[in-house]
Amino acid sequence: MFDRRWHCADQVCASGEIGTILWCQAGCRVSPRRRRADSRGARPELVPSRRLSGCPNNYSMWFVSIVELSLVLFGISILAGVLGSLLGVGGGFVIVPVLTLVFHLDVRLAIGTSIVAVAATSCAGAARNVTESITNLRVATFLALATTLGAVTGALLVGVFDARFLFALFGVVLAASGVQMIRKHPTSAGKGASPAMETASVSTGAAVGGVRNRAIADRLALHSAYYDEAEGLDVPYVVVHTRLGLALMYLAGIFSGLLGIGSGVLKVPAMDLAMHIPMKVSTATSNLLIGLTAAASAVVYFARGDIDPLIAGPVAIGMLFGATQGSKLLRGMRSARLRVLFVIVLGVVAVQMIWKGIG
Amino acid sequence: MIDMPARGHGALTPPSPRGVRAAVGRVLHAGVLVSAAILLTGYLVGLVDQPAAFGSHAVEQAHLAAKAGFPHSLAAIWDGIGGGSGEAIIIVGVLVLIVTPVAGLVTSAVAFARRRDWLFTAISAAVLSVILGSFLLGWLTA
Repeated sequence: MFDRRWHCADQVCASGEIGTILWCQAGCRVSPRRRRADSRGARPELVPSRRLSGCPNNYSMWFVSIVELSLVLFGISILAGVLGSLLGVGGGFVIVPVLTLVFHLDVRLAIGTSIVAVAATSCAGAARNVTESITNLRVATFLALATTLGAVTGALLVGVFDARFLFALFGVVLAASGVQMIRKHPTSAGKGASPAMETASVSTGAAVGGVRNRAIADRLALHSAYYDEAEGLDVPYVVVHTRLGLALMYLAGIFSGLLGIGSGVLKVPAMDLAMHIPMKVSTATSNLLIGLTAAASAVVYFARGDIDPLIAGPVAIGMLFGATQGSKLLRGMRSARLRVLFVIVLGVVAVQMIWKGIG
Repeated sequence: MIDMPARGHGALTPPSPRGVRAAVGRVLHAGVLVSAAILLTGYLVGLVDQPAAFGSHAVEQAHLAAKAGFPHSLAAIWDGIGGGSGEAIIIVGVLVLIVTPVAGLVTSAVAFARRRDWLFTAISAAVLSVILGSFLLGWLTA
């Protein structure tokens, strides 16, 4: 599909050609024949004659036509959108590595694109689920207070801490919450076997935590119910530990502000583990939340010129499409399966973050 | 049925009414459709009208220059649209997308206020002010 032409050069050539785009790729791929020529001191011939301003020395280049590039980005974004809206994590965990590692895009532009991707996933994913009450609007609104304040705090703290340490710390926090999600199943009855089971779990939850843990949620009327399509019944649930949830959301917001990432991966465990919100409602609500957090920081990225229309355009369209599909998938998916998928993605993101911290 | 609170828990009050949720859902849905339309239009305009502008893309510049060469101010976007720039139109679509969740929040604030749920009107307003504050902060510092 790609028209791949590799050039290894100390002088680089221009993309000026209409409808083509050029990527600089670290490292050279030189044919053995050419390498022999090199060792004899002969200069490898440069195929295109045009000159390019941008590429650093000894970078090889990769030509793809704009349409091809858009199609690839579009396809990847559909996948990211499905996963992102299904799991309430936005999809930056797919977009950023693809843009930086495969396309060698500047990390600044990759993060700018990922913010747009998060906004797209959030809108398309939440549009129907809000109406269907899978997204808990009241919980989302209330917790948004903490995440947006956290994001502002994080943005103000940028530079105070070592970014690598923060990435590693975030990765460890994610890994820990992944382990917790495997070990504990606080909302297991939320998978909705029967109303009786649900009631039982709700009362144990209240008994374990004490009635006090419901007090705030009672006053805010955060408890709700949703119709589980996979089970074919209404699943009521009681929200507990609102203060702890709020604190964790603030923490998640700080991380997203500091590291320029959407932190849905932390928001879902906070709702699922701490607040005992059913898995489906947690991911759907996180989906709405990340859009608000992304909006708060997106303007910064736009004003800085970090949003590249040619990259962000196809990505946004793909994410919109994928996220719409993802939200449909969410309604029909069993919570147990959703949880397994989430833990897998959580593991992937944790490894990415720890790797960034170490590497 | 969906709005029904859990049975046997007297302390439960009904969740946000269907009207509020439907209104927010409609706004989000509209935002999605509008931005998708603008993004596609911008992409096609750029491809058809200004292939050269699309081709000499700024990725490589971004490696060197501190500021990339695409529109990042409202004035630049306005000029770009006037000049039929696909990139500027795409950015408008992106901005619509970014503003959509905030529009959803405004809608829910209004809907809560109409139902005299003052607590949640206040919470929505507080979230809104934090977001607008960070808009301003971002705009001024960038």
